Amino acid sequence: MAGKVESQELDLTKLDKILSRYEGQDDALISVLQGVQAEFGWVPQGAIEHIADAFQISPGEVYGVLTFYEQFYLTPRGRNTIRVCRGTACHVRGTNANLRTVERTLGIKEGGTTNDFKFSLETVACLGTCFLAPVMMVNRNYYGKLTPDKVETILKQYD
Amino acid sequence: MGKIRTADELDSLRQSIIEKLDPNKTCVRICMTGCRAYGAEEIRDAFDEEIKRKGLEDKVEIRETGCHGFCARAPVVVIDPQDIFYQQITADDVVDIVDKTLIEGDIVDRLVYVDPVTGGKIPFAHDVPFYKEQTKNVLRNCGIIDPTNISHYIARDGYAALSKVLTNMTPEQVIEAVERSGLRGRGGAGFPTGRKWRLARAAAGDTKYLVCNGDEGDPGAFMDRAVLEGDPHSVLEGMLIAAYAIGTKVGYVYVRAEYPIAVEHIKIAISQAEEVGLLGKNILGSKLSFEIRIKEGAGAFVCGEETALLMSIEGKRGMPRPRPPFPSESGLWGKPTNNNNVETYANITSIILNGADWYSRIGTETSKGTKIFALAGKTNNTGLVEVPIGIPVRKAIFDIGGGIPDGRKFKAVQMGGPSGGCVPEAHLDLPIDYGSLEAIGSIMGSGGMIVMDETTCAVDIARYFLSFTQSESCGKCTPCRFGSKVMLDTLTRITQGQGVEGDLELLESLAQQIKDTSLCQLGSTCPNPVLSTIKYFRDEYEAHIKEKRCPAAVCDALCSYYILPDKCQGCMICLRACPSEAIEGGKRMVHIINQGKCIKCGTCLSVCPARFSAVAKVSGEHVPTLEEPIPVSTVTKGG
Amino acid sequence: MGDITLTINDAPVTGQDGMTILEVARENGVDIPTMCYLKELSPIGACRLCVVEVEGSRNLVGSCHTPITEGMVIQTHSPRVVTARRMVVELMMANHPDNCLVCDAANQCELRQVAADLDVGLPSFKLKKHYYPIEDISPYLVRDLGKCILCQRCIRACDEIAKQKVFNLAYRGFDCKVIVDLDQPVDKEVCRDCDVCVSVCPTVALRKPKKQGEEKKGPPLILSQ
Ligand SMILES: Cc1cc2nc3c(=O)[nH]c(=O)nc-3n(C[C@H](O)[C@H](O)[C@H](O)COP(=O)(O)O)c2cc1C
Ligand code: SF4
Ligand code: SF4
Ligand code: SF4
Ligand code: SF4
Ligand code: FES
Ligand code: FES
Ligand code: FES
Repeated sequence: MAGKVESQELDLTKLDKILSRYEGQDDALISVLQGVQAEFGWVPQGAIEHIADAFQISPGEVYGVLTFYEQFYLTPRGRNTIRVCRGTACHVRGTNANLRTVERTLGIKEGGTTNDFKFSLETVACLGTCFLAPVMMVNRNYYGKLTPDKVETILKQYD
Repeated sequence: MGKIRTADELDSLRQSIIEKLDPNKTCVRICMTGCRAYGAEEIRDAFDEEIKRKGLEDKVEIRETGCHGFCARAPVVVIDPQDIFYQQITADDVVDIVDKTLIEGDIVDRLVYVDPVTGGKIPFAHDVPFYKEQTKNVLRNCGIIDPTNISHYIARDGYAALSKVLTNMTPEQVIEAVERSGLRGRGGAGFPTGRKWRLARAAAGDTKYLVCNGDEGDPGAFMDRAVLEGDPHSVLEGMLIAAYAIGTKVGYVYVRAEYPIAVEHIKIAISQAEEVGLLGKNILGSKLSFEIRIKEGAGAFVCGEETALLMSIEGKRGMPRPRPPFPSESGLWGKPTNNNNVETYANITSIILNGADWYSRIGTETSKGTKIFALAGKTNNTGLVEVPIGIPVRKAIFDIGGGIPDGRKFKAVQMGGPSGGCVPEAHLDLPIDYGSLEAIGSIMGSGGMIVMDETTCAVDIARYFLSFTQSESCGKCTPCRFGSKVMLDTLTRITQGQGVEGDLELLESLAQQIKDTSLCQLGSTCPNPVLSTIKYFRDEYEAHIKEKRCPAAVCDALCSYYILPDKCQGCMICLRACPSEAIEGGKRMVHIINQGKCIKCGTCLSVCPARFSAVAKVSGEHVPTLEEPIPVSTVTKGG
Repeated sequence: MGDITLTINDAPVTGQDGMTILEVARENGVDIPTMCYLKELSPIGACRLCVVEVEGSRNLVGSCHTPITEGMVIQTHSPRVVTARRMVVELMMANHPDNCLVCDAANQCELRQVAADLDVGLPSFKLKKHYYPIEDISPYLVRDLGKCILCQRCIRACDEIAKQKVFNLAYRGFDCKVIVDLDQPVDKEVCRDCDVCVSVCPTVALRKPKKQGEEKKGPPLILSQ
């Protein structure tokens, strides 16, 4: 099925490549996890144990770090990531209506992924483009001065 | 470019770069940072193509710069040497700009900035009020140079302060200069920078670290982003000077995860500086050796707090720990560590080059220098402004910010983000400095200024800030982990029309205790927005609680949407857009909203064409409704 | 040498350089309630029960981790301090499961003791509670995390005393939780029978598997304000 991500097999060579970039740096746990997140789109359980071994810490400690930071995901993500800004500037300019439109259109809540793995929805606290408020990002594209009806048109452009 | 081995070599390199520059050459400066969000890349491509087509490659330079500050007008370009300012342009405008301006030297009228007050056209950047009222010190290179080209930085006195320090000043003299300048940290707390450096220098031990805090978590502040993106070498140079003064060999720059361009630019800057020997061993032939590493944040606001930041750099959960010991005694891996904000470091070169006295003449008695503010929210000229500390709030919002859009009324400005408080109209003439703002329950903070107008609800905004801090609480200490949640739940109830007598007192008492007991300032400052809105807008809270009414018509549960019969043109746009099929109508019929079906999503309000403005959002009023749609022609149209 | 003089509750006292306010206070017979602090463990300043008023400091300070300095003037039981402590306990109680009222461990529960001492009854506000399934598959250890107050004593004791690091903190903010492995229930594989964590847990979030007939009554929970 399109977009289905298998959670069983983990490409250890890819993982070792990421680990080798930070060889000998014991402060690099977060950087390694960022590498894994970027490579796989999420952090699979197998990777956690492997990384814990490499850093000679318990898997629980890695898990503690993973669950502390918003950037990391423990389940597969959609092909496209929507980030709706909930920063102050966007809030006072009405970002909530946009967020609700996305949620309604895709039938998912913040943090969720659509069943077809087309979209994942996140909210962020300020994208640093407050002058475009209210803003949303899809992958690396910014959409500023948004209104709910524009949201629907934008979402249709992604596959 | 080869290695620069001595101060003299740096000088002659600078000379030769400047000589090669032709001040009369046409240069198109395109903001390629934030403006990318609005198509700056397409504009650059269009310029490249058009210039090649016209054979102007040798005559015109296309320069990708950092933020120009006037982000409200994104995307912006400025054309040198005339300093022509074009705003809100698209790739389609490029042909005209090349033909008319670059070739013929004329101005493309339609792209020129129009002063909203006088209605007059202002073609030159230096005449635009937004720029005229500013004092650019930290931002002096932002928008001017190509941040990915170290020559541009060097040409504008880059690394001259470092060279002065290494050849003519002892570390003690550097610290003294920073102390005398009166510079206070720009990360929020305003701690005197010179004193901090002195503590770190005095701390025992040979291994010490330097940290640059670029976490910039305050939603609505983007000055550190602009500096890192638009002039990264100024931060590196500030860090190098600090490293010399304090005696450290390794520095870290911690950049917020959501800032990919900042990460990219600071990485480029570091590798360029390494290449020419401005980072590395025996810099400019001196004893100073210094290397800088980058750490990217992973999404946690609390990591801006310095002890949490250090944990995060070490690769751990970013949870604050008690101070003392302060990082200057015991920081990274237990070693003395000096941490400053991005903007703090970026101030250093100007202090060294122009002298502490020059610096301390800017600003007020207790707050020296300039500060960058990020203007956002309900103001015309959103963007970055750098002004001397101490200018009145009014000047920032009205003279520079251009006032409130759509003829609305100013209500308050939130300073210091989720840790700060609001400045209401009554205090508009207050000078912006650390002490004055604190005295009225606000703070200077990192420089975010979110302007709110009459359509912003005080309770909703307090709830918003608290929902932010509550979700960013690290969870370590009881008052913040639980107390912020109780406050948030209470505020949520109030905005949903379920407020009860006693809620305000509960909020005030929780706020007081949470401030008093939290382990770090995330917790101890999170009640500030609530306390300050209660202080200045108590009647609004009471309207929500007692009358179940939201005076600003924001809180959805307390509002209704309805269509004004005398305005509706029966265009059916809202009817088609309504997700809940709550709107009845037909072509040329006055539409009506079935209140029972309406889910209060606000879509109809946003889609109804501005020239009709027929949808209203109201609170606490009886919503008059027609029984059924009637022809538009049967209604008398009001003014 | 290293003598530091300071004032606690208007009485002059002395302590040694490096001592915390709490240590000096206790040495001088002043009782400050604590929850996350344990003499044997490194202080973390998490519960905020031990706060005191220090002249010149804007907010209250945690006495268990703040070192004394020359000339400090401290109030350990001023109305401001007591109000703050009561809120801390009230918040913990508000998050605590309802079955606290009939908890058979009440007599050994430090939370109940502190609540009684500070005269904290039923909370005056609502707070969501955490419902975690009871973990009772290990022969050594039963965890009932609904009753955990996140003092992190178990984490530190297991790490610093038993040198095991079985526990870690995971998640963030209101969702913070002490976990084992990748947030799996404790079983016999992960832990040996050393009891250190059980002995330091202030509530019964950690306990030994129950033997029959051990129920006693503890200090009463005050039901009226
Ligand atoms: C919750 C919280 C978030 C903070 N975020 C930042 C930040 O993003 N950037 C920053 O420079 N300082 C931040 N600070 C302040 C830092 O703790 C620290 O005071 C500052 O980096 C010191 O630098 P300065 O002396 O140059 O201002 C934050 C503090 C708190 C409590
Ligand atoms: S105040 Fe909040 S963020 Fe700071 S340590 Fe306590 S729980 Fe963590
Ligand atoms: S607010 Fe939303 S649901 Fe209600 S009438 Fe308008 S579009 Fe329809
Ligand atoms: S969009 Fe406005 S004018 Fe058009 S039918 Fe709806 S309410 Fe009437
Ligand atoms: S389980 Fe017990 S010792 Fe461990 S954190 Fe929770 S309350 Fe403290
Ligand atoms: S608040 Fe949305 S981009 Fe800053
Ligand atoms: S981001 Fe382009 S002008 Fe500010
Ligand atoms: S006992 Fe001091 S903070 Fe918990």
